[in-house]
Amino acid sequence: MYQYTLLALTVCTAVGFGYGLFRFFRSKSALYLRMIIIGVGCAMLGRLFETLQLFVNGELSSGFHVGMLGTIGSFLFFFTANYGQMDSIVDDGSKKFKKYRLIGLLAPISVITLYCVAYGFKGFSETSVALGVQSAVTAMAAYFHLKHLVIPDVEYGLIRAIRSYNLLALIYAYLCMAEMIVESTALPTVCIVIVFVLQCAVMLAFVPVLERGVKKWTT
Amino acid sequence: MDNLSYIVLICMTISLGLMLPLMEKKTRGVVIFMMIGIFSCLFISELNSILLKAFNNDMFYVTTTITPVTEELIKALPILYFAAVVSDDRRTLISNAFAVGVGFALLENMVILMQNISSVTIFWALVRGFGSGLVHGICTVMVGYGISYIRKRRKLFLCGTFALLSTAIIYHATYNLLVQSSFQYAGILLPIATYVPVLLLTRSKLAPKA
Repeated sequence: MYQYTLLALTVCTAVGFGYGLFRFFRSKSALYLRMIIIGVGCAMLGRLFETLQLFVNGELSSGFHVGMLGTIGSFLFFFTANYGQMDSIVDDGSKKFKKYRLIGLLAPISVITLYCVAYGFKGFSETSVALGVQSAVTAMAAYFHLKHLVIPDVEYGLIRAIRSYNLLALIYAYLCMAEMIVESTALPTVCIVIVFVLQCAVMLAFVPVLERGVKKWTT
Repeated sequence: MDNLSYIVLICMTISLGLMLPLMEKKTRGVVIFMMIGIFSCLFISELNSILLKAFNNDMFYVTTTITPVTEELIKALPILYFAAVVSDDRRTLISNAFAVGVGFALLENMVILMQNISSVTIFWALVRGFGSGLVHGICTVMVGYGISYIRKRRKLFLCGTFALLSTAIIYHATYNLLVQSSFQYAGILLPIATYVPVLLLTRSKLAPKA
């Protein structure tokens, strides 16, 4: 059951990535969009390796495996897209946005707390280090997703248009953390299946929601 | 007997090195990068043997998790250095990147050939040539092609380099995983199936502008 749900997740991520390539790479589009699509592509590659390893080997390697690089890469892209492309437009660093910066901090704090629940208190191991790096990158991306959800909009409605995308990306970050918790504890397989099904839904909705948002930039 | 890897390395690099002064500048660059690939392979073979011992000779784990990371990082370094310091011209990067991969695969195939000299066949040669030869070439071309794109975009540089290396590592690990499984034919077909789109993509980018 576990491996077939992971296979479904790989297929859904591949569909999301393929749709993104088709929509945003045929013609010139904003670098922000392209970075997010490449992020989805990274997630797809990581999931593909995990699925193949499960089918070939019957289980994933304990500790570090190269599939983790896909998840880390995807959140690194989501982070860079928001930090490098969007944040300087919506936040000029003035005091009036301080409240939203503080609210944004709730996301990384909760991500790190979830990591601590899953692995942080279990001592030093190869798995805890690898997933610690993944959690740190997830926390960095989650900060901007939450901040851009709550921050007031600039004149052109840039950030309001992509709030649904930021919400989905934040949910995806928490689902990745939920996956980590389920795998670190002795919860029944159905829990991880539920997490994967939810991730499938998010991955399928990711690019269409983003596309709907960015259409408002030009209308 | 001295270490066979070193003997093969000397035989190959001396011949290639003597050829260098007679070549044109652009072709010379490609051969130099091929030699860099050969040296990288020797370095990696020593490093991998240390890592294999460190991981209790667990060949499957090491070849699907550790060696893709070490090999792709070492092969990418000269290309990243070249892109950062010398030139980020896409044509040059693609040919140099492929040369590093092919040089790496040449020595690797030679060493494996000598280790299994009594059991190798024509089929083995075809599998190694089309399989690992292409995998190493395609992985470094991915990095070379991608770096020519992200080098000009400062905001993309950090995560873009990470993503390129991750892509090459995951691709290489997937190949290693498949060829050691019951799906080994899928493993052999993977690089051939990837080579065609890579060839079409790079040829379209390399075609002279009208």
